[in-house]
Amino acid sequence: MSESTLTEAPGAHPSGVGRPAPAGRGRSWLRPLLLVLALVVMLALPLYVEEFWLRTGFAAAGAIVGAIGLNLLVGTSGQLSLAHAFFLAVGAVSYVYVSGEPGGLGVAELGGLGLPPIIGMIVGVLLAGLAGLLFSPLAARLRGIYLGVASLALVFIGIHVLNSWTEVTGGFNGRSAPEFSLFGFTFGNRDPELYVLAVPFREAERLWYLGLVLALAAYLFARNILRSRPGRALQTLRDSEVAASVMGVNVQGYKARIFLVSSMYAGLAGVMYALSIGSIAPESFGLELSILYLAMIVLGGLGSVNGAVLGAIFVSALPLIFQRYADLIPFVGGGGLAAGEAARFLFGAAIVLVILFEPAGLAGIANRIAGRSRRPGGRVTEHPPDTPSRSSEPSPSDPPAQGSTT
Amino acid sequence: MSAPGPDTDVRSDIPPVLVENVSVRFGAIKALSEVSFTVEPGTIHAIIGPNGAGKSTMFNVLSGVYRAAEGQVRFGEHRLDQMRPYKIAGVGVARAFQNIALSAGQTVAENLMLGRHHLTRAGFIAAGLRLPRATKEGKLHGARVAEIAEFLELGDKLHTPVGVLSYGDQKRVEVARALCTEPRLLLLDEPVAGMNAEETHRMAEAILEIRAGLGISVVLVEHDMGMVMSLADRVTVLDFGRRIADGTPAEVQRDPEVIRAYLGSGDEIDPSEAAEAAAAGASSSETPGMPS
Ligand SMILES: Nc1ncnc2c1ncn2[C@@H]1O[C@H](COP(=O)(O)OP(=O)(O)O)[C@@H](O)[C@H]1O
Ligand SMILES: [Mg+2]
Repeated sequence: MSESTLTEAPGAHPSGVGRPAPAGRGRSWLRPLLLVLALVVMLALPLYVEEFWLRTGFAAAGAIVGAIGLNLLVGTSGQLSLAHAFFLAVGAVSYVYVSGEPGGLGVAELGGLGLPPIIGMIVGVLLAGLAGLLFSPLAARLRGIYLGVASLALVFIGIHVLNSWTEVTGGFNGRSAPEFSLFGFTFGNRDPELYVLAVPFREAERLWYLGLVLALAAYLFARNILRSRPGRALQTLRDSEVAASVMGVNVQGYKARIFLVSSMYAGLAGVMYALSIGSIAPESFGLELSILYLAMIVLGGLGSVNGAVLGAIFVSALPLIFQRYADLIPFVGGGGLAAGEAARFLFGAAIVLVILFEPAGLAGIANRIAGRSRRPGGRVTEHPPDTPSRSSEPSPSDPPAQGSTT
Repeated sequence: MSAPGPDTDVRSDIPPVLVENVSVRFGAIKALSEVSFTVEPGTIHAIIGPNGAGKSTMFNVLSGVYRAAEGQVRFGEHRLDQMRPYKIAGVGVARAFQNIALSAGQTVAENLMLGRHHLTRAGFIAAGLRLPRATKEGKLHGARVAEIAEFLELGDKLHTPVGVLSYGDQKRVEVARALCTEPRLLLLDEPVAGMNAEETHRMAEAILEIRAGLGISVVLVEHDMGMVMSLADRVTVLDFGRRIADGTPAEVQRDPEVIRAYLGSGDEIDPSEAAEAAAAGASSSETPGMPS
């Protein structure tokens, strides 16, 4: 065939140096430079912008974490989940209970462990993971939309528990979330008082940095997974479970594990949500929240980490911005639409537009603006990568109706 | 019994595949009835038969996708008929699909790296945190993947998304991905279907070279009779799920029942043509797959 011959690899473990195949993306100096620049801007932002934007930024950071987690499950692995709100609730409630002080505010007698907030955060992530693990035997056996329907049940269970387990959740009134702190440094207005270049660094400024760090960590972790062994396995099982299993992927195992990972992301997002709002309440964790998260990843671009980030920013920030600038935006505020409603109409329209014109979502649009394909070589391919190949491919000796197992 | 070709160096760790009385049913349809054959180590064993004969079903049994209702499949000490597909991959059985089953959005390199899945270990934590062992593992296996891609003339396409490749290229990626698992038994389901004569010829050479270079067993489902006759050491013929013949290419070609099956189906191959094609070798096979 070619001049090169094929010889047996030394055992199962090849040696020798060569091109690292999968990581060999085109490396230019431009990308890292832009990234560093963006990071510097982000770090300097609290010096220049007002509290509203920093708070919006932290809310967006929480949404980014949650959306990345959901996108790993839905976009990358093709497993639909409507239970994301439930796992956010587990994270949020765990944090509030573990790090909150016991006490009775009026009617309700509240429990609380009063442990350091970092412990509360970790427990929140772990318990959300545990809840995911308990559900994962089901998640491993169901596929796509069937999992979506089954996971719906968790949302209703969650709401019921939030309303009735008053000692932990505060019942239908909810309860307030303790301030975050790390090794004695409080992410609040004082303890210690802090000025940077004569700008007071209060709760909003401090939370901004916390959000930045957590979102960045969530982002990098997901990117790394997608570019390596588990990510390839997940993407393949989304495209064909039979192909994945024949190539050696334990399909059920991977479905269970990605469900676990996704629920841990949701747990962290839930803790951040509680910190962002300053309290938790049952109505925050309804089906609507799950759907908002789905909107984020569909708008942003299914299967793309960048897309999850963009979608999360768009969906979480828009209602806040509408609310703030209601009087400047036509038809919103005053006699017109409420800000939240206006934002929802806009999401609806945006989702329809994305599905019709840019299935790759905001990430696809961003790529197009940057004027490049995802691949090095800089060549933008004419036909989208998904059109040829696979199931519909005519092949002369191919009898029809054999499914993907031939 | 056919011996492996003269240039073959059979590896000692390659056991025979013993298929014994395997039956598969789909409701009322009996896709396979009590089929038996043996794939000797280091041979190229062809499975032929008209469309719907049960060839792909047999591959699905060998790779664990379908359960046999009766019978057993043994590969060394392993009972393939009782194992889950991913475990079968783990003992060195690889398969290239008839209908291309690649991830169109991923690059050639990424698709091929999937073949290294059972040879590598990195899990979510190691990969997510980029632990040194995960990165090192990726590099090491990336090198072998590049080697295999080079061998199947895909070296310059490693970073191209599979979806934009030509059909012939995609077929080669299928074969390359199976090879990337370092198999002891390679199952090729119509690897040249849809290829032109030139591509078919090169694929035939590649298959011979795989056997010669790696010393592994190859089971080949193919419609191109010229290719089967020139490549195979042994041929099993299926018709309506039954084994109607089993022997060397020359024996099978003379078999009256084989001739009847092919003539009877009307749209298949004229055995005299097949004989000519066999005599002339794979290079002369003009048909990129028989009409169905
Ligand atoms: N999953 C399935 N469900 C029902 N019938 C099937 C299935 N797979 C194959 N068959 C039937 O089994 C028979 C053999 O099919 P197959 O093995 O694909 O033939 P081929 O020899 O062309 O590869 C056909 O009649 C086919 O319709
Ligand atoms: Mg077939």
